Amino acid sequence: MIVPFGHVLLLAGLLFVLGMVCVVARRNLIMILLGVEIMLNAAAIALVGASLRWQAMEGQVLVLFILAVAAAEVSVGLALIVNAHRRSGRLDPNAFHRLG
Amino acid sequence: MPLASADFPYLSAILLTCGGGLLAILCLPAARTRAIKWVSAVCSGITLLLSAYLFAAYDQARGGLQFVERLDWVPSLGIQYFNGADGFSLPMLLLSGIVFFTGVLTMWELETRVKEFFALVFLLVTGVFGLFMSLDLFFLFVWYDVSLFPMYLLIAIWGSTRKEYGAMKLTLYLLAGSALILPAILFLVVQAGLNTFDLTALMRPGTFSPGEQRFAFLLFYLGFGILAGVWPFHTWSPVGHVAAPTAVSMIHAGVLMKIGAFGVLRLGIFLCPEGWRYWAQLMGLLATVGIVYGALAGLRQTDLKFVIGYSSVSHMGIVGLGLATVSVDGVNGAVFQMFAHGVMTALFFSGVGWIYDKTHTKMIDELGGLSHTMPRASAYVILAALTSIGVPCLASFWGELLVFLAAFRAYPVRGALAVGALVVSALFMLRMVQRTFYGPPRERFAALPDVPFALGLPRLILAAVILVFGFFPALMFDMIATATLPLLQGVPR
Amino acid sequence: MDPILLAALTATLTPLAAFGAIVLATRRRPGLSAGLAIGAVALALAGALFLLARLWGLEMSVTYTTRWMASGSLEIVCGFLLDPLSVLMLTVVTAVCLLVQVYSLGYMAGDPGFARYYAFMSLFAWAMASLTVAPTLLQLYVFWELVGVSSYLLIGFWYAKFSASQAGKKAFVMTRLGDVAFFLGLLLVLTHLGHVEITRLNAGAAAGLSGHRLTVAALLIFGGIVGKSAQFPLLTWLPDAMEGPTPVSALLHSATMVAAGVYLLARLLPFFSLAPTALTVILAVGTLSMLLASTMALVSRDIKQVWAFSTISQLGFMLMGLAAGGYVAGVFHLTTHAGFKALLFLCSGVLIHHHGTNDIVDLSRRGARRQTLAVACLAVAAAALAGLPPLSGFFSKELLLAALAAHPNPVWLAAGLLGAFLTAYYAFRLIFLLLAPPAGGMEDAPAPHHDAPPGVRGAMAAPLVVLAGVTLLLGWAEKPLARFLAAGGGLTPTAAGHHAWLPFTAVGLAVAGVALAWWEFGRRQAPRVGFAERWPALGELFAQRWYLDHLYRLALGALVDHGAAHLCAQGDRRVIDPTVDGLAAGTVAGGRRLAVWHAGRFQARLLALFLVVAALAVTVFF
Repeated sequence: MIVPFGHVLLLAGLLFVLGMVCVVARRNLIMILLGVEIMLNAAAIALVGASLRWQAMEGQVLVLFILAVAAAEVSVGLALIVNAHRRSGRLDPNAFHRLG
Repeated sequence: MPLASADFPYLSAILLTCGGGLLAILCLPAARTRAIKWVSAVCSGITLLLSAYLFAAYDQARGGLQFVERLDWVPSLGIQYFNGADGFSLPMLLLSGIVFFTGVLTMWELETRVKEFFALVFLLVTGVFGLFMSLDLFFLFVWYDVSLFPMYLLIAIWGSTRKEYGAMKLTLYLLAGSALILPAILFLVVQAGLNTFDLTALMRPGTFSPGEQRFAFLLFYLGFGILAGVWPFHTWSPVGHVAAPTAVSMIHAGVLMKIGAFGVLRLGIFLCPEGWRYWAQLMGLLATVGIVYGALAGLRQTDLKFVIGYSSVSHMGIVGLGLATVSVDGVNGAVFQMFAHGVMTALFFSGVGWIYDKTHTKMIDELGGLSHTMPRASAYVILAALTSIGVPCLASFWGELLVFLAAFRAYPVRGALAVGALVVSALFMLRMVQRTFYGPPRERFAALPDVPFALGLPRLILAAVILVFGFFPALMFDMIATATLPLLQGVPR
Repeated sequence: MDPILLAALTATLTPLAAFGAIVLATRRRPGLSAGLAIGAVALALAGALFLLARLWGLEMSVTYTTRWMASGSLEIVCGFLLDPLSVLMLTVVTAVCLLVQVYSLGYMAGDPGFARYYAFMSLFAWAMASLTVAPTLLQLYVFWELVGVSSYLLIGFWYAKFSASQAGKKAFVMTRLGDVAFFLGLLLVLTHLGHVEITRLNAGAAAGLSGHRLTVAALLIFGGIVGKSAQFPLLTWLPDAMEGPTPVSALLHSATMVAAGVYLLARLLPFFSLAPTALTVILAVGTLSMLLASTMALVSRDIKQVWAFSTISQLGFMLMGLAAGGYVAGVFHLTTHAGFKALLFLCSGVLIHHHGTNDIVDLSRRGARRQTLAVACLAVAAAALAGLPPLSGFFSKELLLAALAAHPNPVWLAAGLLGAFLTAYYAFRLIFLLLAPPAGGMEDAPAPHHDAPPGVRGAMAAPLVVLAGVTLLLGWAEKPLARFLAAGGGLTPTAAGHHAWLPFTAVGLAVAGVALAWWEFGRRQAPRVGFAERWPALGELFAQRWYLDHLYRLALGALVDHGAAHLCAQGDRRVIDPTVDGLAAGTVAGGRRLAVWHAGRFQARLLALFLVVAALAVTVFF
């Protein structure tokens, strides 16, 4: 293993925190969705690293699952955002605080 | 408690008949209303015959639980399919059979959503039958909830007069009741530590400490008391009666309110006799208030069904008073009164249902002189009214006699007050009869048809039952006594 | 089978069978229904007469009982108690029922509810006959209630009339008020003695009750008598009860319903005599009712109402006699009264049926005096009511007055004599009003209300003749009947002091009453105004029945309808329901309020989530 496992985890952690800040701090729904994607990818990196470290295939399988779920999630999420934007004309998450 | 296994699963046969009827109705196309009604009538008739057979075949000399069926269901949790019948449940099974059969026949002229209606009624009645025969606390609770839920739809879809409100109120009240009952059941099962829901195992003396019994009994009393219309938790019942369609009113007032009293008896008193003694004063007080209050409130009602609803509150108060006396006579009278009141209110609603169907009103002010155009329907309602007043030789009298006697022994003042309410109930019943049926004939009712013989059959059956048990109360009391005497021996003095 | 038991079964159960048969089968065939009912009651009478004949020489009582139902320690038995009192009463009841039913063939002819009428009549006969032979108070109570129900049905028979249904309801509810007291008394005795057998109660078993409890029980049971026999203060239902068909009134006022109350007192007289306080109360209530009802009768213009008031007054008189210890006197007056009161009503029925009015003056104007037979019988019965010799009423009244004279307190005797005077006065006021040609002369062409076929007239006339014969002759049966009653009654007849002056005084007062009535109404230049009507206030007070009805209506309206009942109904509408609905609304509103915290601002919540997870990670790993 060329890159040490610790570096992989560091990268994953950094990416995760970046995504987290993006999700929490941005005031744009699309950027929040991007943040979620980044967090997912961070987890995927950690999984790939771990799978190499312990020579187990489950980690890589899980990454494939994450990719599939992320794709589905993005499409649903974007659809929701488009719909919300159509109804209110805004992308600010705080504009949506009522059910129905 | 002696157990006698059944040579043939009669009790399950009742449940299977109901279930089979339900399936058959679901399989029939909705347009074939005639076939659906015939299937309902035949299946309910079979349940009536079976319950009547059980009533007759019960060995009174031997007593105890008979026709017992037992099957492990979830052994790891101690849940069994465990049915049996004794002197308390057989009158109730018979009552359910009678009211079910006559209720189905009463709805013979129903035209809207026939399939759904009868399917829901079958579901409801399955729960009722199951509850009366089950000896496993888990199943008992399940049957209880099965019998509650169809009620909401039945009232909300086929009802009248604020039906959504009535249905919602009823459902919420009864769910509140079951929210008290479930913890009590679980509490007792856990406290006993026997890993069983078997009623007969849990009711051995010494299983629960007095404190536990008091706590659990209070929960049972309040939970089932709501269903039995105990004051001040009674207001769902008149509203529900009024909103419900005829057959549902019959089953509701005739059987469902009895489930409440039966639950107090079967779970509260059987499992927690010490709690029963402890809370008897409270029960007696609430029951007396209910009797007097129901009668007085009935005096001010302007809707026929409200009048009957409040009379039910008053009569269920008599049942409660009987149970509160902690005596053989009181319990005998209470169970008899449960039966008599069930048949009587069924007759009431059946008669009033006909009137409402034809005149499209149940406001007393708008009615009048109905005896001229519908003498038979009037006669049935008047008979029910006289039964409700407590006229001797009509079933209700004997139950009231014993309850009042026992109450007078235990609580003289409350007993006297409750007896005094008889005058008020006579007054409001006769007022209702006078304003609805007597007086000059009215133009607008002149062309209305009277009950034809075939459609009058359910009312005839109910009237006959009232008379038979009015003239020969021993038929019922000998049965009830087989269960009362052993029960009262176990109660600490 | 034992012939006595068989006769007792026949005497009580045949009317029930007729009732069942009419309701189930012959509802649509009036003739057959009437035949069934009359046949049944005739059989019952035959049974009763057989029993009377068997017991006449036997000088004992026979009891048959069988278990009806049992519950715990309580065993409810049913059966027959056949002793002179019950058998005499049974005979009277069935005989009057038979006569009234025969009479009704004419009176009710053509009525659309003919079959229903005979069904109710049979029910009534069954209830009353069974009441008389009840061996326990409980069985007596059962039939006591059934008598009430059947009279409710019969009084309200013409239900299309508002007043009739109103009167039926009033009768039922007012007697129910008394019945509740009776029921409580019954429960009290049952609770403390464990049984309510009449013979044992009379034989001194009641001594097991402590003193005041016994008094309370006796007074409560007397409450039932007050209701059923229409005594003060529950007397206002009886005058209204004449809304029923006249034969029903005849039955109600003579041998059934109201007679049941007096019968109960006679039945339980030894029990009551253990409670002297109760006896004094009974004397007072009887006296008050007698005088009140007499004053009401002084001014009434309705022929049936006059007789109704006289019933109340005569029943009060019987209660006085019984309470003063005159067992034979009370029962004998009950018997003779049954005869002449039935006759009074049946005669009035003939007049009412023919002329279509109840008003005495109208009847007179329409030529009531042409109904010779009816008016003659009416006069005979009125004379018996007034206590004129040699009619039956004279003998029984003398006995009653003698019993009162034996009482240490002379007030009761004085009241009794005053009552005798008033009775004679109002009875003959009515007769003279009917007979004397009115000031304006009779209407020329008295148009008969109905064209009665001869068969109908015969059916109505025959009972009159029979009853008039009984009224003429029954008085002479005083001595043997007294011996018969005393033999089996288990009660030693009070040795009534012999007051030679009493019969003369009583007859003198009665004659004075008749003379006053003649002076005011009978003679040719009579003013036709009663002495009570000379003071308008007094006349109004009497005519309004001492405002008792107003009082009740006021009390019912203010205390029950707009008081307690209103409170309860409003309690549901204003307190309990709003509480529950408020709870529901509160839950919904609370949910809305809390929902705000669950909607929107997800970034803030996510931040919190991340921070918590981070904190957890820190605590777990370091």
